[in-house]
Amino acid sequence: MVLQVKDLTKSYKKGVNAVDSISFDINEGEIFALIGPNGAGKTSTIRMIATLLTPTSGDALVCGNSIVNAPSKVRECITYLPDEAGAYKTMKGIDYLYFMAGLYSGDKTVVDKYVKRAVDMCGLGSRLEEKINNYSRGMIRKLLLSRAVMTRPKLAILDEATSGLDVINALDIRKTIKNLSREEGMSFLLSSHNMLEIEQISDRVGVISQGKILTVGTIDDLKREFDAANLEEVFERVVSNEVR
Amino acid sequence: MKFGNLLKKELSQLLTKQAIFSMIFTCGLLVLLGQIMGNTMENIETSSDTVYVVVNDDTQFVKDMLDALPDYGTKATVVKADGGMDAAMDANDTNSLIVIPEGFTEKATNGEKTEVELYTRLSGTGLANMVEDSVGTGTTAIEDYLTDYVFHDRLDISEDDTKLANDPMMVVDFTMSNGRTAKIAPSTVSGLMMSLNAILPMAIFFLLMMASTMIMTAISTEKIDKTLETLLSSPVSRINVLFAKMLAAVIVALLNAVSMMVGMVFYMAGFIGNGAKDMAGELMASSEAADALASEAMSVPQALSELGMSLSGGMFLLIGLELFISLAIGLFAALIMGAMATDAQTQGTLALPVMFTTMIPFFVTMFTDVNNMPIPFRMIMYIVPFTHTYTALGNLLFGHQLAFWLGFAYQILFLAVIMYFAVKVFTSDLLFTMKLPVREAKKK
Repeated sequence: MVLQVKDLTKSYKKGVNAVDSISFDINEGEIFALIGPNGAGKTSTIRMIATLLTPTSGDALVCGNSIVNAPSKVRECITYLPDEAGAYKTMKGIDYLYFMAGLYSGDKTVVDKYVKRAVDMCGLGSRLEEKINNYSRGMIRKLLLSRAVMTRPKLAILDEATSGLDVINALDIRKTIKNLSREEGMSFLLSSHNMLEIEQISDRVGVISQGKILTVGTIDDLKREFDAANLEEVFERVVSNEVR
Repeated sequence: MKFGNLLKKELSQLLTKQAIFSMIFTCGLLVLLGQIMGNTMENIETSSDTVYVVVNDDTQFVKDMLDALPDYGTKATVVKADGGMDAAMDANDTNSLIVIPEGFTEKATNGEKTEVELYTRLSGTGLANMVEDSVGTGTTAIEDYLTDYVFHDRLDISEDDTKLANDPMMVVDFTMSNGRTAKIAPSTVSGLMMSLNAILPMAIFFLLMMASTMIMTAISTEKIDKTLETLLSSPVSRINVLFAKMLAAVIVALLNAVSMMVGMVFYMAGFIGNGAKDMAGELMASSEAADALASEAMSVPQALSELGMSLSGGMFLLIGLELFISLAIGLFAALIMGAMATDAQTQGTLALPVMFTTMIPFFVTMFTDVNNMPIPFRMIMYIVPFTHTYTALGNLLFGHQLAFWLGFAYQILFLAVIMYFAVKVFTSDLLFTMKLPVREAKKK
């Protein structure tokens, strides 16, 4: 198991839990999606797993390492791509990849290998020699995604992986994620508002609302359970039941 | 390796072409100002030796008078002004002309009060121009000659008595400071202090503003762009990220401080190092008595040293160190403020506290001595750590050692406290959860 989330809780104000004792797990090579309305607690959950925020209570184990007790070990196993993230605009694309690769390894051969992989994957070609300032949003997203997977992390956490991208770019990225999961056994924790995307690439889905995980299952299981034609309907039924 | 990688990235982001340009610009500007002031001093020295005279009363009396002027400390060069005063000034590369009007000889020899016309063209509004324009132009020498003529030739008084009557008293200037006394005009010393007090705090102010804004923009941009989240979820410790940022900012600030202090040394040399000519003597050079006094008066560096006001290498080092501590305080404060940014709008608002705390003491110390303010205001001013940097030079020069060292100790303490908070912000959830309180209030 790559990720085990156990009773994870985060409260920013006393008595109000943004994330309320949630538990789920992700297996090796699995694509797991966390879906939920705005303010449901998705980003807080992801930020805790990415060791950016400290849990108020509970824990999560990434490759057996606790996010509370061994955050630095956790960071060696994961990569995180935040929603609407940017990159250092004054850097060239290739320099950004070298800079990030250098944070994961001190060995130049390994760094070169990571960068080569990212270069092959992002498809930006000679544009990598340009400053990131000149990149379109789609180009930046491709650069960041290739950065997120170049080190073959055990778990890649992608928040709104394709947000703001055109259909072709979004399809490209979805294919890449699926291939990395199937062919290289990489696990993914995704967060998205795009139900179609989640339905296409996810193995399992967790629906989160008001800080609680309401249900977890494969797409087919959830459709059956909630008698829904697609994931959008599943989401609507699960969340509206909770609101009532 | 990882830390080096981080540091390299931070330095490459801070040491942009604009930052390097402004660093060279500050240093170059001070060197240039020093050169200008040095040249002005040289001009004053040479221009006060020679006066240009337009003679409209062409008599033997006037000729004799002009020939005798070197004995009174001034050489007269007769020039034509047929094309107007401006043209005559241009032709002789001067900004002042003395005109001996028609009827001058008649009045002088008949025992009437004479008059000469003095034309001075203002060369500009700058400090150097004003100093240059205010220098005497040799009318005193003519006046002295006429006095001698009245006493000696008309009243038939002996030469010695004439000299005595002409100059019965001599004022010997002494300036006191730090419990010491030096034989120099106080205006010379205070003029120098004024120019120092205007330039050094201004340079410090711009340096503080620039460095703080630089780090605040760097951290807030990383937060807004979410590159900080990417960076901190990679296998590097937050302390390493923080210290790489700080070290890079400190290196850049240090480069700024060093370039500024180098510029300051050149600037100072323009005032006091230029041939070590005595400013006091030069400003009074046209009078024989003043010449005698000038030969006895001390040179500016000598006098400042005698008054315990000279800027030794140690003092420059201390001021540099104080400047460095101020910069570090500004940088840590800017880092904390920058961490509160949530968008481009708050980024601008967050710059205000740093701007005010650097700007207010700058203006206050420029116009008044903080030590002379009422106690409550003085306390408020001293709470702001940057005040101590603005007053450091004055404290050192005027021997306020206790005030200097107390300020220094306070700054170190302040640095330790703010550093502690910066580390706390950077290693906790605060980095991602902290927001500008004002915006929260607005939302409510």
